[in-house]
Amino acid sequence: MALLNIFKRDSSKHTVLATGHVISESSRCVQCGVCSYNCPIGIDVRAHVWRDEAVKHSECLTCGECVARCPRGVLRFAQTDLFVRSKG
Amino acid sequence: MRYVIIGAGVAGLSAVEAIRSVDTAGEIVMISDDPFGYYSRPGLAYYLTGELPDKALFPRTKEHYQNLNFNFLKARVTRILRSDHAVLVDGKSKLSYDKLLIAVGARAMPLEVSGASLDGVVKLDHLTDARHIMSLARRGKTAVVVGGGITALELTEGLLARGMKVHYLLRGDRYWSNVLDKHESHVVEDRLKEEGVILHHKAELKEITGKRGRVSQVTLQDGSIIKCEMVAYAVGISPCLELIHESHLAKDRGILVNEQLQTTDPDIYAAGDVAQVYDPLTGKSVLDSLWNPAREQGRVAGWNMAGRRAAYLKSAPFNVTRLAGLTTTIIGVVGRGKDDDLIGIARGDSETWRELPEAIIAQSGFDVNHMRLMVGEKTLVGAIVMGDQTLSWPLQKMIAGRADISSIRDRIMQPDAPLADLIAQFWMTWRTEVAL
Repeated sequence: MALLNIFKRDSSKHTVLATGHVISESSRCVQCGVCSYNCPIGIDVRAHVWRDEAVKHSECLTCGECVARCPRGVLRFAQTDLFVRSKG
Repeated sequence: MRYVIIGAGVAGLSAVEAIRSVDTAGEIVMISDDPFGYYSRPGLAYYLTGELPDKALFPRTKEHYQNLNFNFLKARVTRILRSDHAVLVDGKSKLSYDKLLIAVGARAMPLEVSGASLDGVVKLDHLTDARHIMSLARRGKTAVVVGGGITALELTEGLLARGMKVHYLLRGDRYWSNVLDKHESHVVEDRLKEEGVILHHKAELKEITGKRGRVSQVTLQDGSIIKCEMVAYAVGISPCLELIHESHLAKDRGILVNEQLQTTDPDIYAAGDVAQVYDPLTGKSVLDSLWNPAREQGRVAGWNMAGRRAAYLKSAPFNVTRLAGLTTTIIGVVGRGKDDDLIGIARGDSETWRELPEAIIAQSGFDVNHMRLMVGEKTLVGAIVMGDQTLSWPLQKMIAGRADISSIRDRIMQPDAPLADLIAQFWMTWRTEVAL
């Protein structure tokens, strides 16, 4: 059962990563730049957050570096529904 | 039309964007003597920990600024000449304005103790301070940190990350006692201890002594001595008011402004840490030293300056920070009382966090995933979320939107109530009802 749950969790995580994108909550952001600095392909994530826009960038790998490293929990993954979250 | 903006912080930049969104032709001049212009001041904490190089703190490129089409003047405004509708720049030249914004921010309160002017006594206001701290910090050396609130903790964590041995002095009996409750203070303190920080409670600096002009030790009020090479302090901040001393603009602890961010002179506005903003909901004028309200105030000021009438409505105060590595969201009214470690308001602080409503505290969670709710008669009035942030956004919306929680209030108040589940279930229904 536990194994099945892990599988379910991972499977939903992978779905979000494959079909989702990074969204932000600009009221939490202080433009420190940890996100942009850590983006492996150089997307200016911080500029998207300032404009309160999702990071819908054709080159975004949804690797999760920006989400994981943001010190203020500004970023998260979402599918089309804004509240479907990665449980990872 | 000439708009003059004094200050290059987020309130100033946000005002430039707002003015440009209304008036594409007017001349905008931003004046600041900050050698670096606009950058992320809160980000200095992450520069100190080594998470970022300093160049990453600058969010804007030259192209951004060119698109906004404004002039930046690296100079100091020394006086406001209201009768001339002009500012005096560097004590000599006059620059006239049609609309003026004062967004000069706040600065660290000085450490009032003998020896405070020795080399090695540091604060964290600017990038210059952060670079200075980095140049002084050396692995294996010892630092003493003084003060409460977020900045003192950021200094502690930054110096620790630089390999220094850190003594953290608290005048009170626990960390940030006017915002955090006992349990939360202890969560933070325990984590600091695990990292190797040496905490001293009810400890007050008596004097700092030095050798050849450099810090060599501190003496506490109880007579004990700590040998150290650095003393870092953050005992509160105060709005920079020198500029308006002879201007006869109304002030209290900050420059008093109405909901349009307008001072008592209709052509002069103030926004950000320097402004004490009227809140129509409470009838009070309050200081916030939070980054996002500064951005919002700059925007509202900019619109009004350019002729688009708008009001700044203070929403439930809200801040996210990292306390001893733990992401922490503070929403609405959460604290009470005074804090021995802070003389004034702390950076990243809001006065309204400490207003005392009729509220009962309900609590859930454990050390690293902790949630505290302040429950009013029908609504939630405040919350602290430490660790897992899943519920912090719903809580922020519910508190700001004054969601009527009567249907779950009794269950929330039960001992050992599953708070997170109750809030999550309530949120799912409520957000559909209010179409969020």
